[in-house]
Amino acid sequence: MRRSALPSLLVLVVLLLGWEAACRFIPIREFILPSPSAIWAQSYAVWPNLLRHTLATLGTVMWGFLASVAISLPLAMVIAASPAISAAIYPLLVVTQSIPKVALAPILIVALGANELPRVIVTFLVAFFPLVVGTVAGLLATPPELIELGRSCRASKLQELTRIRLPFAVPFVFGGLKVAAALAVVGAVVAEFVGADAGLGYLIQTSMAFFKTPLAFGAVLVLAAMGIVLFQVVSLAEKLLFPWSSGADQPPPGM
Amino acid sequence: MIRLEGVGKRFARGDVEALRDVSLHVAPGEFVAIVGASGCGKSTLLRLVAGLVPPSSGQVVLAGTPVVGPRADTAMVFQAPTLLPWADVLRNVTFPLRLMKQAAGDTEARARALLATAGLAGFEHRLPRELSGGMQQRVAICRALLQQPRVLLMDEPFGALDALTREEMSLELLRIWSGLQMAVVFVTHSISEAVLLADRVVVMSPRPGRVAEIVPVNLPRPRGFGQEALPEFQAAAQRIRALIYGERLPRAA
Ligand SMILES: Nc1ncnc2c1ncn2[C@@H]1O[C@H](COP(=O)(O)OP(=O)(O)OP(=O)(O)O)[C@@H](O)[C@H]1O
Ligand SMILES: [Mg+2]
Repeated sequence: MRRSALPSLLVLVVLLLGWEAACRFIPIREFILPSPSAIWAQSYAVWPNLLRHTLATLGTVMWGFLASVAISLPLAMVIAASPAISAAIYPLLVVTQSIPKVALAPILIVALGANELPRVIVTFLVAFFPLVVGTVAGLLATPPELIELGRSCRASKLQELTRIRLPFAVPFVFGGLKVAAALAVVGAVVAEFVGADAGLGYLIQTSMAFFKTPLAFGAVLVLAAMGIVLFQVVSLAEKLLFPWSSGADQPPPGM
Repeated sequence: MIRLEGVGKRFARGDVEALRDVSLHVAPGEFVAIVGASGCGKSTLLRLVAGLVPPSSGQVVLAGTPVVGPRADTAMVFQAPTLLPWADVLRNVTFPLRLMKQAAGDTEARARALLATAGLAGFEHRLPRELSGGMQQRVAICRALLQQPRVLLMDEPFGALDALTREEMSLELLRIWSGLQMAVVFVTHSISEAVLLADRVVVMSPRPGRVAEIVPVNLPRPRGFGQEALPEFQAAAQRIRALIYGERLPRAA
């Protein structure tokens, strides 16, 4: 199950060394491509500031992620409950996905004011779709034999959902949650690009405006780390809460 | 115990007449096997008795009352084990009782005892995917037995098992059944399995499914594989074979 992290770590180190060497021996100007050491030095110099922006982004990511969970799971249950509802709602969901969120962000900010709410909404809009799709797929993938078993035990529709369909969907839900966690980071940064006075997206924009490229790179790396950590936290939660789910030889949720 | 009175079943989808005018009585505690060609409506018959599908004509009466839906005193063993992948063996076995809110203080102890009889002691907290196919099917049978049904419906329960496990489990089933007051309707594709297990074998003919003949098996109990050589065993098996293949093959025997 668990692959060794060593080979990819090695490749990373080699890449970083190559990058560092390239920056030293080829005269590239720092505001075009800073060396890893410059990125580290400039980011470390302002670390309290960097931390403040990281926490601001993390807040938006968490709220957007929680909103995705709170809305996607019930929505998926409603969609899976009846083909008629599914036919009515699914096309609308697909429409929300084809709207570029970057285009939507300024409109939302004008409409809702320059506060946290429009950023959380943009984050939610970017993150929620795979969660809905994954959960619906899981609820509908429940084998008909299990449904029949429930019926032969005189299960009500509600019991069928809570005792059979939902547990069966858990691995699919977690597949969606992992994607949503990664996408929530993307969504938060997109929102911060458009309207924010804090956050890593804001930091990247302001740094670049002053040609402080190394700091912008630092912010990007923090974002990458944030995405990885969130993904791992979701995986860990799955392992702890639903040990049968993560090791199961079930197909990955179709997305 | 079970009375089918002129039962017919027509599926609207595909306009299939699965069963026509099937009448059958099963006494309390009787073991009845059903054999017949694939698609002749055996599973449909069981699902009607289980109350999972309504009949199109006629009626199914169980213990004096018409069947209108699944009942607590019938239990079904499906062709595949159909275990909950997220629940361990013990929770799978107790699932129907918990779902029907009939779990009592002694349910778990009874479940453990039943699992031990089925040779599954020590596997109570394993997940289904950690068990072999035969073990999974034994769990499914324990799950049905724990409901203490008065009617046990089994749809090719040993269909997916290898011949050795199959024979072993047939005898185990007979041993458990002999200690309980429980009518069994057992669908199988194996003629020798039907004769070995049943008091009577219902032979069905296809398109539409009807009862061709009911063959009584007058072999003493307890049954065992030693009886396969007896003339009564051979006569019953021959009769069933003739009924199933007779319509298609020229009489070779
Ligand atoms: N839900 C359904 N909808 C439409 N037709 C059905 C349905 N269930 C069964 N049938 C049809 O009814 C007929 C009898 O099916 P059934 O499953 O009872 O056969 P069977 O005797 O159990 O076959 P097998 O031995 O292969 O399991 C078949 O022709 C089948 O196509
Ligand atoms: Mg069948």
